[in-house]
Amino acid sequence: MAKWIRVWEKKRGDRRTGSRLLGDLGEAMFFAVMFLLGVASLGYLIGSQVIEPTPELYSLGVGFWLLVIVLGSFVLIGGGSLIFALLRMGTSAERRSALAQRAANLDLFTKALPRERGYPTVPSDENLTNSPGVVLAFRLPSTQSPAWRLSAVLVFCVVWNVTSVGLLVIAVRLWQSGRPDWVLTVLVVPFVAIGAWATYYLLRQMLIHTGVGPTHVEVSAHPFYPGEEYEFYLTQAGRLRLNFLQMALVCEEVATFQQGTDVREEVCRVFEQVLYRGEDFSIDWGIPFERRGHLIMPPDAMHSFESGHNAVQWNLVVEGKTRAWPHFSRRFPIVVHPGQPPGERL
Amino acid sequence: MEPVVQIRLLHPGSRFTPGEALRCEYHVQLDDPSQIQALEASVMWFTEGKGEEDLAVQYFERHVPADYVGGDMRGPWQFSTLLPRSPLSYPGVIVKVRWCVRVRVFLVRGRGVAAEVPFQLGNLPPTRALLRPTAEPPRADVEASDELDE
Repeated sequence: MAKWIRVWEKKRGDRRTGSRLLGDLGEAMFFAVMFLLGVASLGYLIGSQVIEPTPELYSLGVGFWLLVIVLGSFVLIGGGSLIFALLRMGTSAERRSALAQRAANLDLFTKALPRERGYPTVPSDENLTNSPGVVLAFRLPSTQSPAWRLSAVLVFCVVWNVTSVGLLVIAVRLWQSGRPDWVLTVLVVPFVAIGAWATYYLLRQMLIHTGVGPTHVEVSAHPFYPGEEYEFYLTQAGRLRLNFLQMALVCEEVATFQQGTDVREEVCRVFEQVLYRGEDFSIDWGIPFERRGHLIMPPDAMHSFESGHNAVQWNLVVEGKTRAWPHFSRRFPIVVHPGQPPGERL
Repeated sequence: MEPVVQIRLLHPGSRFTPGEALRCEYHVQLDDPSQIQALEASVMWFTEGKGEEDLAVQYFERHVPADYVGGDMRGPWQFSTLLPRSPLSYPGVIVKVRWCVRVRVFLVRGRGVAAEVPFQLGNLPPTRALLRPTAEPPRADVEASDELDE
């Protein structure tokens, strides 16, 4: 009986403490009210203008059209979500999944789906095999592009510092004129501090990416299969004095879940095999460090897996620590298929 | 009387290899067959663990009384489907992949009843979180870069 009167519900593991039917009903009622409110208000607004037109309201800036758009969105969002909620209420999760799968299998969507048809839930390796290597068959792309990160930090740094300098100039002028604004002065201090930190972070990122130099990883074949042996080729450029440089084959489970209003991601490393580790050595300009070796995929390895909120990811992870720069880590995803390579199937 | 769903895999054991055919038989024990509004059977995988649940069906069938003369849907019913090559059953740490045959009975009055029989696709061993990574190279490698071209 307690679950019928409880107001707030909590997800415990994969179970909810309350009635799913009640939850669905509540959701449907919410959207129904939103839809009805939108229809009634929009109807009244338009109806009143049809019966007694007031042309001065139609000019921009008065708010009439904004009201129409807001009420129209109530009707669309409320109506659409109500239909979706009603359809969902009488349908099992399996039936919804079957319908969604049937829709996805239509030819119309085939090209939009990169996933390989023979291996459901195994991500496509299309983007991993379109770059030939210099020494081995494929050069793997890195997951983190420094350009995007640097651009984001640069934009933030510029916007923040321009704002900070503007506030600082105003505060200084007020002081000079003998009318100091204490609230503004106190506000400027953290602004300038954050601006200074952003500048430091930007310079640090630029130094890491220009100072450490690019890392390249090539592999002899792709996708990978459990129990099979592959060759790898690692190069690290730059002028570096390294405390250590390491490359490892890593498998991680990634789970995405909702906690309150936040979407959180948890990563659990379940396999790591160091393929190379070198300590205390130097790399000179123009002569990149090179390393070639072999790796054997574990025979009982789980294949790469990707669904809406869960994943099993395999990566070749290159990590290093130099005397001058902070620790750096670069990840090169690989795709592991289940079973045996195509040529070895019975 | 609450309906009871009985599911039986027509297979020795509950472990299947990818691509193998799964045959299954199920029936509903219920005094009054007219109480059954619909019957759904599915072969599906779903995730368990820390993340939100994902699921997908490999096989799905739905029966309603209108499709059958007399409308008695208690069964027994049989179906067969080829299992896919992935995803394999995976007993991970925060991500687990489970396979099962699930049968749902929707009743004219009252709540429906669901029953499922788990099975394993593939033969992956249990996984555990890595606390201390192994730092052992698998085999000796070529040492110097200038030996690459040889």
